Amino acid sequence: MSETAPNETMLSIRNLETFYGPVMAIRGVSLDVMQGQIVAILGSNGAGKTTVLKTISGAMEPQKGSIVYNGQDITGHEPDRVARAGIGHVPEGREVFPFLSVQENLEMGAFSRRDRTAIAEDLEMVFDYFPDLRKSAKNEAAYLSGGQQQMLAIGRALMMRPHMMLLDEPSLGLSPKLVGEIFDIIRRLNSEQQMTILLVEQNAHMALQLADFGYVLEVGRVVMEGDRQRLLDSRDIQEFYLGRKEESARGKRRWKQRKTWR
Amino acid sequence: MSQQTQPDNLQTDAVLTEIEGCINLPQLFRKRCQALGSRVALREKEFGIWHSFDWDTFYLRAREIGAALMALGLQPGNVVSILAENRKEWLYFDLATMCSGGISNGVYTTDSPMQLEHICRDSASRFLVVEDEEQLDKYLEVRDALPDIEKVIVVEDEGLKRFDDPKVMFIDALYELGRANLDRFAEEWDRRIDAIKADDVAILVYTSGTTGAPKGAMITHSNIMFQANNAQSYMGACHDEEIMSILPLCHIAERTFSVFFALHYRWVVNFVEAPDTSFENTMEVSPTVFFGVPRMWEKMYSSVIIKIKEAVWAGRITYHWAVNIGMRYEEAREAGRVGLALRAQRWLAEKLVLHNLKVMLGLDRARIMFTGAAPVSPDLIQWFRAIGLDLFELYGQTECSGITSCNRADANRLGTVGQAAAHVEMKIAEDGEIVYRGPHIFKGYLNQPEKTAETVIDGWLHSGDVGNVDNEGFFRILDRKKDIIITAGGKNITPSEIENQLKFSPYISDAVIIGDQRKFLTCLVMIDHENVLQYAQDMNVPFTDYASLCAREEVKHLIGEEVEKVNKNFARVETVKKFTIIDKELTADDEELTATMKLKRSMVAKTYKDLIDAMYAG
Repeated sequence: MSETAPNETMLSIRNLETFYGPVMAIRGVSLDVMQGQIVAILGSNGAGKTTVLKTISGAMEPQKGSIVYNGQDITGHEPDRVARAGIGHVPEGREVFPFLSVQENLEMGAFSRRDRTAIAEDLEMVFDYFPDLRKSAKNEAAYLSGGQQQMLAIGRALMMRPHMMLLDEPSLGLSPKLVGEIFDIIRRLNSEQQMTILLVEQNAHMALQLADFGYVLEVGRVVMEGDRQRLLDSRDIQEFYLGRKEESARGKRRWKQRKTWR
Repeated sequence: MSQQTQPDNLQTDAVLTEIEGCINLPQLFRKRCQALGSRVALREKEFGIWHSFDWDTFYLRAREIGAALMALGLQPGNVVSILAENRKEWLYFDLATMCSGGISNGVYTTDSPMQLEHICRDSASRFLVVEDEEQLDKYLEVRDALPDIEKVIVVEDEGLKRFDDPKVMFIDALYELGRANLDRFAEEWDRRIDAIKADDVAILVYTSGTTGAPKGAMITHSNIMFQANNAQSYMGACHDEEIMSILPLCHIAERTFSVFFALHYRWVVNFVEAPDTSFENTMEVSPTVFFGVPRMWEKMYSSVIIKIKEAVWAGRITYHWAVNIGMRYEEAREAGRVGLALRAQRWLAEKLVLHNLKVMLGLDRARIMFTGAAPVSPDLIQWFRAIGLDLFELYGQTECSGITSCNRADANRLGTVGQAAAHVEMKIAEDGEIVYRGPHIFKGYLNQPEKTAETVIDGWLHSGDVGNVDNEGFFRILDRKKDIIITAGGKNITPSEIENQLKFSPYISDAVIIGDQRKFLTCLVMIDHENVLQYAQDMNVPFTDYASLCAREEVKHLIGEEVEKVNKNFARVETVKKFTIIDKELTADDEELTATMKLKRSMVAKTYKDLIDAMYAG
């Protein structure tokens, strides 16, 4: 477990409830992210993970509950205010600006900043982390591969100089090798830049390699929480998220145990 | 001093156990199928769509299965075990087995491989029907210990496409075998049906006592025919109804309603898609008969209460007014005089609120409703009656093939389990135990003559329940004889009474009182997850998973308040001094819960011994 930063709570979510119209997407979600930690939110499709991140970054407004960031209540704040406060959101599906070049995408990341020298330094820092982006700096973002787009999206968020990053399924659609590369970057960002990270993932295997602590979401609720070891040891996580099943008398079995989350 | 009810003319002759010339269930089944032909008999939901099956199909499938089993060597008296969830095939196999002269034995799908082995071995099962891959794996694990099983038949082949084993056969192949042998066994089919004697064992029902391994109760055809015939005496006219099949068919209560009564009274049986969808399915079908265990009725009540809590102020006021009118109307009805003003208000309450409540619960067409198989709070029944659902409490057990006493429209007393059913004698023994006799008493426990002799003494069946009877013959159950608590101070406590009241709280799903040989009473509580979560949300109490919710001080305080409310109704020595919340969400797979979702007292006391000791240490 990385313990590079003092154990202060950076982000504190309490009793969050967010709706899509009449549908309650998340219900009673409470979680904490400590400074310097990598915290993972696991869950299958439709569990509400993306909704949690969107509610934090201001893209959605919660019906109930509170979000406190570094002691400041940011519940319901507009996304630009949340971004300026220091939270960088890397959305699901990358969402790079397809007709801008790589460099222009990155510069868009620093849109609200005025300190030109520092911006230039940060651009260099991003290119250091992602040499591929330096090579294709002038190319239109639409022509990048999936992996490169993911790097671009992370780089763009870095350009805000965030203290905390929200990463939504960075491994989505990437080859295992690329997933490994992305996760290495995340690990480096955490250790070198002391970046606190809230990571949403379906790829539980990778997420649990990386995270210090994790929450499991199902149908909008937290069903389990624990540190990395507790989650890895859980029988339900192993069967439902890591694909490991005990063999039955027949050899491989297809049917699933009932989840108990103990 | 033992109290006795006035016995009816106790006739154990054929009149009570014969229905339209049929002396066994297969004869009745054959008669019904041939008469009802293309009328709907069963419904099942598959991939979101309800499918209907008529009596002709019911009979044909049963005959195909019967012919196949007979071709495979099924002899009269052989046992066929069925390990599957409720579905039409369960009934097909059940009836096919009985028609072939065999004995049908249902096994709970939550049983372990070891339990399956014990049951199959004890019953000397020759055939085993398994629902799917998961249940098949249980057999495969213990197959070496069950050499007597000729064939295992699998109903759903998902996940088993490449599976090949000489002992295992898929249902489609079985149907084919049956079709090929229909003519060959046509005469034999009818011959076997007519050869079954009333006293022959029809089904086995394994009941797990809290002591020792499960025992196979032998229920005869005459038991079944009697129960089916006798139902009219407490249900009134009940032909051509619609019922849901939710509780496991291996349980005698479900078998009684979905098989015995359904066949005799020509009901349509609607299988729910899964236990989780039972409320939605009930709303879709809107049955006219509904049998539920108390947990089901409690859940329905809770769901309404929670919705009301979330309603706007005007909605809450209207609801409380309507229920109040309902209660007053019921009281007046019982007293025999309902004033015009009250009648008008009741009509208004129905139009504004009560009808909608019933639609929400799926019970807007329900005429005949019962609760049984576990203790229930009279307040709960009163609420249902207040909203216009005539819910009656009944009492029975496996050993009496179903029902032995029942409240009914013209004889209903809340807090009792009713008067003895017609042609049944019930009385209170010297030590307070409820004993009864009649044509419904089972034949005994298979292979256990000593246990049978302990249970049926001089023709009287000892129920294991302690109770009393009033001067009009209404029986009150106090508790299971072995569950009565004797405190260290020598005081007798009936825990069910306290537990029932605790369960009435929307925040408490179940409770077990501890106190045997102890200085004071404590309690283990299982919270109602949904309602407590809602409370935590309303109060902005943070939590993550189930365990963390239970650990919150605010939740403990909430439950504490509910316990105090109940304590007010009891004497000092009967109050609960401390409680602990069970921090695991228990499901039917857990050993601590029975198939009818009751907390098993001794199991719970064992599993949570440390927590219990801690409550007494401090």
